[in-house]
Amino acid sequence: MTETDPQVAKSPEVALAVRNLNFYYGENHALHDISIDFPARRVTAMIGPSGCGKSTLLRVFNRMYDLYPGQRATGEVIFDGRNVLERDLDLNILRARVGMVFQKPTPFPMSIYDNIAFGLRLHEKLNKADMDARVQDVLTRVALWNEVRDRLNAPASGLSGGQQQRLCIARSIATRPEVLLLDEPTSALDPISTARIEELLDELKEEFTIAIVTHNMQQAARCADQVAFFYMGRLIEVDSADRMFTNPKQQQTQDYITGRFG
Amino acid sequence: MSETVVSTTGWKPNPRAARRRRADHLATAFGMVMAGILVLVLASILWTLLSRGLAGLSAAAIMKPMGPPGSSSGLANAIVGSLIQTFMALLMATPLGLGCGIYLSEYGTETNKFASCVRFVSDVLMSVPSILVGLFVYQVLVAPFGHFSALAGSVALAILAVPIIVRTTEDMLRLVPTSMREAGAALGATRWRVTLSLCLRSAKTGVLTGILLALARVSGETAPLLFTSLGNQNWSFSLNRPMASLPVTIYQYAGASYEDWVQLAWAGALLVTMGVLAINIAVRVSARRG
Repeated sequence: MTETDPQVAKSPEVALAVRNLNFYYGENHALHDISIDFPARRVTAMIGPSGCGKSTLLRVFNRMYDLYPGQRATGEVIFDGRNVLERDLDLNILRARVGMVFQKPTPFPMSIYDNIAFGLRLHEKLNKADMDARVQDVLTRVALWNEVRDRLNAPASGLSGGQQQRLCIARSIATRPEVLLLDEPTSALDPISTARIEELLDELKEEFTIAIVTHNMQQAARCADQVAFFYMGRLIEVDSADRMFTNPKQQQTQDYITGRFG
Repeated sequence: MSETVVSTTGWKPNPRAARRRRADHLATAFGMVMAGILVLVLASILWTLLSRGLAGLSAAAIMKPMGPPGSSSGLANAIVGSLIQTFMALLMATPLGLGCGIYLSEYGTETNKFASCVRFVSDVLMSVPSILVGLFVYQVLVAPFGHFSALAGSVALAILAVPIIVRTTEDMLRLVPTSMREAGAALGATRWRVTLSLCLRSAKTGVLTGILLALARVSGETAPLLFTSLGNQNWSFSLNRPMASLPVTIYQYAGASYEDWVQLAWAGALLVTMGVLAINIAVRVSARRG
């Protein structure tokens, strides 16, 4: 389990280092002693059956669980030299640096333009021209610009599901985070939209460290550099995507990726 | 085509199915008759209102203020008085109701004792008889000052409007999916910004509907105005003095023994009803837009 992959080893820089992380939903101990590194500017896919804790782990990285009383985490998640679990950490800064895209597209009740501008206005003071440029830039990067350039002021709710999800990704990267968390971002999308988002991930990883939760084994194989397998709140195995899918070390991993359970 | 699966009864008439069908017809018929009765009641009220009200409704009735019997007087000061008092009431009730509804939905979780308390009080307030509200305001804003006032009337109406706005605001905000709040928080937005810019914005049609419903509700209230703004035969625009209103005027005129007053009462009733109807239509239009 500790053996490092040569591809990963080439980039020794670690964006997120998780050490002895435990997570609790009230009395329910959901994550047990998780330790894992997320290499910078790589895609790490987290797989495992429903309820195995992979989404829970994702939601620790931007302290999403803080919205809900009774949920707590112990251990360490080191990001840029600080433990993000520290009580006095500024959550608004953390969340500007660690962006998140959810399973269901969540366009805000405003125009396409304002969906992007909303996040930018929270953290930066930009004049109209700079704002326009940033909006165009991120929409271009998620390959949405040509589809929406003529209706930037139309409500975002009028876009298709795939377009909405790309808008949400654009919204998350507009604030220039360092880490991008994706919680099953394509599970509500059709195959064509899914393919587009997967292509997008490939481009985005040049700039962002990406952690993606997915139920789709092919997706993990296609997009990820590193794959982590979770089962019942424990990290069973983490390795390069190649090795994980051809030659897993643990029997449980083998059983899961060959479809014997989960 | 050797063997197909065939049920034991095939197409033979099934007595149980026939019984279920009869019960279904019966239930449908019952529902339709009840709905018909309701429509009939409403239609007859409207018919009475229209036939009696239209006769008294004239340019004079709307343009001229109230006056002694037989002087071809009107309702102008009562109309304006009603508008002023309901507007004032809404001006007071809207911020209070909105703030309270936002608190209950966004901050008042199930475990929060204070929030449960506020919710309970608000719900009780919704079912308090309106005359009780009038008496309360009389004790607090009329008796100590020694005179009736339009302000007291507005406060009484506002007290009736607040719980309606609180309830609809909370309900509408709760309909905003959690994913919206999480998406806002994930961008690093503070809680109040998520509430105002995202939640309230996506619930704005529903919230507006609640305010309009509150307006419709209080615009016909009579009892809370009886001991507060009292009524006034003359023009008055001062919030510190008694002010006329349509419901109170209807109350005074309908039981009078002067034919022209009774007719004006009907005209006033028609005006109030049309106003409420107009608000309800506005609610539907705004709901459809949203």
